[in-house]
Amino acid sequence: MAIAVAEKRRDSLGSAKVREAFVGYAFVILPLAFFFLFFIFPMVYAIYISRYDWGVLGPIDSIGFQNYRELYEDDLFLRGLRNVLVYTAFVVPGQMALGLLAAVVVNQKIHGRPFFRAAFYFPSLASSAAIVAIFIYLLNVNGLLNAILGTNITFFSDSDTALPSIMGLVIWTTSGTVMLFYLASLQSIPTDVYEAAAIDGSGPWRTFWKITFPLLKPGHFFVLVISIIGCLKVFDQMYIVSGGTGGPNYSTLTVVLYMYQTAISDLRWGYAATMGVVLFAVIFGLTLVQRLLFGRAEVS
Amino acid sequence: MKNRARRTVLFGTLVASLLIAAVTAAVSQGKTDAQAAPAAQEVTGSIKLAGWTSGGSTEGVLLKQVLAGFAKKYPKIKVTYTALDPYQQNMLAQFAARKPPDVFYVDSNDFPDWAKQGLLEPLGPYIAKYKFSTKPFYPRLLNAFRYKSKLYGFPKGFSPLSMQVNTAMLSRAGVRAPTTWAQLRSVAQRMKAANIPAGGRPICLQPEWPRMLAFVYQNGGSLLNASKTRATVNTPAVREAVNFYIGLINDGLAGTQQQLGAGWCGEALGKEKAAIIFEGNWVMPFMAEQFPSVNYRVNRMVRNKQPATLSFTVSYSIAKASKNKAAAWTLLTYLTGKQGMGTWTSKGLELPSRKDVKLRVPGRTAFIQDAAVGRAWQFAPGFSKVMTVANNELTAVIEGKQTVNGMLAKVQEAANEALR
Repeated sequence: MAIAVAEKRRDSLGSAKVREAFVGYAFVILPLAFFFLFFIFPMVYAIYISRYDWGVLGPIDSIGFQNYRELYEDDLFLRGLRNVLVYTAFVVPGQMALGLLAAVVVNQKIHGRPFFRAAFYFPSLASSAAIVAIFIYLLNVNGLLNAILGTNITFFSDSDTALPSIMGLVIWTTSGTVMLFYLASLQSIPTDVYEAAAIDGSGPWRTFWKITFPLLKPGHFFVLVISIIGCLKVFDQMYIVSGGTGGPNYSTLTVVLYMYQTAISDLRWGYAATMGVVLFAVIFGLTLVQRLLFGRAEVS
Repeated sequence: MKNRARRTVLFGTLVASLLIAAVTAAVSQGKTDAQAAPAAQEVTGSIKLAGWTSGGSTEGVLLKQVLAGFAKKYPKIKVTYTALDPYQQNMLAQFAARKPPDVFYVDSNDFPDWAKQGLLEPLGPYIAKYKFSTKPFYPRLLNAFRYKSKLYGFPKGFSPLSMQVNTAMLSRAGVRAPTTWAQLRSVAQRMKAANIPAGGRPICLQPEWPRMLAFVYQNGGSLLNASKTRATVNTPAVREAVNFYIGLINDGLAGTQQQLGAGWCGEALGKEKAAIIFEGNWVMPFMAEQFPSVNYRVNRMVRNKQPATLSFTVSYSIAKASKNKAAAWTLLTYLTGKQGMGTWTSKGLELPSRKDVKLRVPGRTAFIQDAAVGRAWQFAPGFSKVMTVANNELTAVIEGKQTVNGMLAKVQEAANEALR
């Protein structure tokens, strides 16, 4: 009897691992299948398409790397890439700073904390199209901002102010989401570290820079990666503000906007796929660099 | 023996019925030849119609009326209408899936690319078979749906750019509505001197080629040669027209819609920030709805070396992948026929593209007069990129960051690249 039980246990011990693995995979199989079908497969297929002159009804001509060669010399694509990099360079630090500030504020024990949390998060819930539509009114030449400043600036139709205006509205809109990520990260910092700092007589400013900020590193990494990816593929704000042209003077032309025009209006799906592949390579490369930087810092 | 007899009888009946069928078919064939479409009892099946007209709008109600008329005349064809938004993306997805609607709208601007990729059914054989007359259509509008000499659609309506003037402002300034470039400039100068309209500019001009090109055509210029093989952007006729258009803005005689705090020039007219604008038929329902108290009149487009304007038109076309082309053709010819178009244009939201459909809505005479000199907003396959360059360069010129010559050189280069 005892032997049988022991044997049975050994048996089940061996199969338990397998079963556990099996159950684990069973749980993720559906999302995994979804991920492969709608992300990995299209990605690989895009690389395949990018080597063709591909139209609505399929391949027209196999042209090797000619799309890539054309892209390399395409002024509009390069302008779009430049705009997107400038945009990312300003928006990412902007939304991180604003999001972190909001997170720290609503993490305090203040009155009406739920209200502020909701209020800061609220813009993220509204659709970007609605936000842009509102800003078009606010930044109109006869709009609120010009009335306050006493100026006549046509914010969205001057090539010097169009992109910065969009940056500003995006920073404001997205900081709520960033705040949410930082809030989760803030709450994972153990309180005893703060207690120790308080006993050592550290002020709030010093506590923030010496304790909170460094301990938020996983949060920083996550937010940074998500923000950079989000910024590099920006589309809707530019599309609405410029009416799809990327104007004035190419100032709101982005990679994805140009890709959209190429696919939807010019029906050059192979060339558009090429842009997608290159944009993917840029995003992948940047994420790798970040990973390396943050990973190395962790070791030292 | 009995069996054989039965078989003979059966065979005989079969032959007889086949004969009868053949004779009736031949008879009805003879009948349809005289008509524009197959006879009502012949064509059956259900087909899909797609457009961007939403069901709840005034246009949507009109379309429903048109389709009700069709159902009455052809009770055996069932038509399902779907409004697609965004239209192009949805249509392209359906084309790619090989399941496009049978009949659908095609914007003249999208047409060259759609035709080039083989998405549309050429209509020539049907026109010949059913002896459909294309004569009533304005030739320039019909030709907008011709690609490499084959016809792929019939215009369902159109609107040219004409001139709208605020009559009160003009009479306050003591000027008459201009008809030429020289008059336009002098009228604007006099109005500006009199500070009319206050806080605005006499003219509103949109900084984009879909408006400026009308002036290029008036000056005898164009973007492409007649056979669409070569760019003709960087030429004196175009340069002169662009200089005139931008000169009006730079001299403060005209403002862009943004400078006037409006979304488009129609809104600037409504807000009385501009007295003269160049827009299409769509300005009329807009003004009636949003600014009913503003008095304005539609005049013919100004002219310079020749009268000319831009027309915006949309066709009904048949999908090459349609499985019921006889029914699709029947629907197409009804929608663009005298009866269907008569209902569709009865409120003047779109103007009839057939000369034999009379418009009963007042105030649109100038549009109809301009129709004869209107050229469709359309170029060649791959031109959306050229327009991106052209419109961006134009905004740069208006900001003073690019010269007119620099812009024309860039547009010429982009156009030639697209034609290659």
